[in-house]
Amino acid sequence: MKYQTIVNGQTFDIEINEDGRVLVNGEARAIDFRALRQGELYSILLDHRSYEAVVDERDDLYHVLLAGDMYEVQVTDERSRRLASAFMAFGDTGGEVSIRAPMPGLIVRVPVSEGEPVSKGQTVIILESMKMENELKSPRDGTVHHVHARAGENVEQNKVLVTIA
Amino acid sequence: MSETQGRQRRTRLASRRRTGETTPIRKILVANRGEIAVRIIRACRELGGIQAVAVYSDADREALHVRYAEEAYNIGAPSPRESYLNIGKLIDVARRSGADAVHPGYGFLSERADFAQAVIDAGLVWIGPSPDAISRMGDKLAARELMERAGVPIVPGTQPGLNNGALRHEASRIGFPLMVKAAAGGGGKGMRIVREEAQLDAALASAHREAEAAFGDGTVYLEKLLEGARHIEFQILADMHGNTISLGERECSIQRRHQKLFEEAPSPFMDPDLRQRMGAAAVAAAQAVSYVNAGTIEFLVDAAKNFYFLEMNTRLQVEHPVTELVTGADLVKEQIRIARGRRMGLVDGVSISGWAVECRINAEDPYNNFLPSIGRVTVHVSPTGPGVRLDSGIYAGYEVTPYYDSMLAKLIAWGETRGEALLRMRRALAEYKIMGLKTNLPFHQKLLDSTNFLAGRYNTQFVEQHMELRGDEMGGGRAEAAAIVATLVEHQQRQSALQFAQQPNRRASNWKWGGRR
Repeated sequence: MKYQTIVNGQTFDIEINEDGRVLVNGEARAIDFRALRQGELYSILLDHRSYEAVVDERDDLYHVLLAGDMYEVQVTDERSRRLASAFMAFGDTGGEVSIRAPMPGLIVRVPVSEGEPVSKGQTVIILESMKMENELKSPRDGTVHHVHARAGENVEQNKVLVTIA
Repeated sequence: MSETQGRQRRTRLASRRRTGETTPIRKILVANRGEIAVRIIRACRELGGIQAVAVYSDADREALHVRYAEEAYNIGAPSPRESYLNIGKLIDVARRSGADAVHPGYGFLSERADFAQAVIDAGLVWIGPSPDAISRMGDKLAARELMERAGVPIVPGTQPGLNNGALRHEASRIGFPLMVKAAAGGGGKGMRIVREEAQLDAALASAHREAEAAFGDGTVYLEKLLEGARHIEFQILADMHGNTISLGERECSIQRRHQKLFEEAPSPFMDPDLRQRMGAAAVAAAQAVSYVNAGTIEFLVDAAKNFYFLEMNTRLQVEHPVTELVTGADLVKEQIRIARGRRMGLVDGVSISGWAVECRINAEDPYNNFLPSIGRVTVHVSPTGPGVRLDSGIYAGYEVTPYYDSMLAKLIAWGETRGEALLRMRRALAEYKIMGLKTNLPFHQKLLDSTNFLAGRYNTQFVEQHMELRGDEMGGGRAEAAAIVATLVEHQQRQSALQFAQQPNRRASNWKWGGRR
């Protein structure tokens, strides 16, 4: 099975054969891989170099904690990659982005209004949670399309607060 | 306990104190939650069977402090106002449980004179300073005047209770940059930096709002911002027998938005002469309010080693463990001993041995503007080994909720030297595994990689100036290993799904890919 794995913007082509051989970017590697606790704690000897990894799968990403560093890893195979690129053809890249409540909380202030141009990094919502005022920022340049929240409102986690077009 | 009984008990306590007899404490109500509640319960255990009574909100039934305590009582809805800030409910639990003393921890009601008074009025021992000392130091403005009279230097700032118009006028007198601070404040809440006049109105409004929400009192005042200053605080301990001692300093300059993130003791900036002078000022400050129990005097120290009184925290501090590790004192046990009316165990003062550093582990995403993170902790592997201490309020399976402070744990390391303590901390951070939500562990790792920080060259601006973490910097030099692990996990899952369908008897995990090269 051939996988393409992306971490920190680096892409690795990883091939796992029926007979157990593993090729990384075309090169055969000596790998002893053990699940110490399935779905959670793993040990790998990679060319005799020992690593312990905690792995958590969330939101289609693997969060890999290795020697104290966290890596967000995306693993795709050829088939799903072809599917994804077919969807991309519809021009998804320039579409709306939604800014959601990362946790439940109280909307303190909405410093933008619909139709207003915003730049990347500009604060669009101030949400109070965990005793702090948290500034939620626009991930890119654009125009405020919809504001779905108002000051004084209590919001649930993941509620769409503002959409940027 | 009826009111008459309460009065009788108060009289008994007073007469015991006069005769030098000590007050028995057999059961302590811990009026707090999280790691500090666990810390206090541990001290109770070590003191030979003092029973600990925990309180919990509806959100905290499964919290670690409830699991640790001998008894636990629900005190209502998750919102702090309904539970941990509700004096009536806490006094009621103290009565129902038969507790004879209350320890407030830090935060919540720990610096509320009315709570201390309510505890005393109920005939219970308050493990902390007198309500009078709390209110005189708690009013940050009155405290400034008091310190000025006691000969302790203070930072230039405004008078109490000014309206916005007067504050605007005073702001131009003090000069920019300056700080808007909450009169009832602490922990960075209701605090804003103002660099120019145009920002003042917005800062006043938001500081007022945050202070109102956090403390129920929106009063703010102004103080000159000393840029490039260090935040150094002195731990003091005072008993009812007239002993007031300094336990040396803690360096707390690594802050973000006025929230401390890293502390160490001693301070790399300190010299014996300055320590002696600041320690004496701290003792004088405590004596000015006839202080009894543990307290902390916070100072700002500028590059020329001038020091200014900032405020006194009339309670145990979050960062008290670094002092414990370099002095050998157990501050919580000393607090209880002092509240019992005994002589403190450290009358001859303390000597500082080695170096201790502390990282506050918060549920915050350092790659995304330190946004708080909530969710269930799926993995919690604690660092262990020589010189490492972990004060934590979490465990694997524990759900972090949005209602309270984002601090999950404090990781503390001790070494013979600052270098050894920092290297040990770096080792411990790499061992510490928390999964299921975002934490600021990567922030601390980056901090311990900074050569300026390692050399002790930092002040309160350090985090803003040097510590921005970008998403594309996430991870370290082991991206390839991470990629291989994730791919093998993905492959294993697919294979076992396949095998389950086709060959249910074949083993699915722990196989070996040969190194047949």
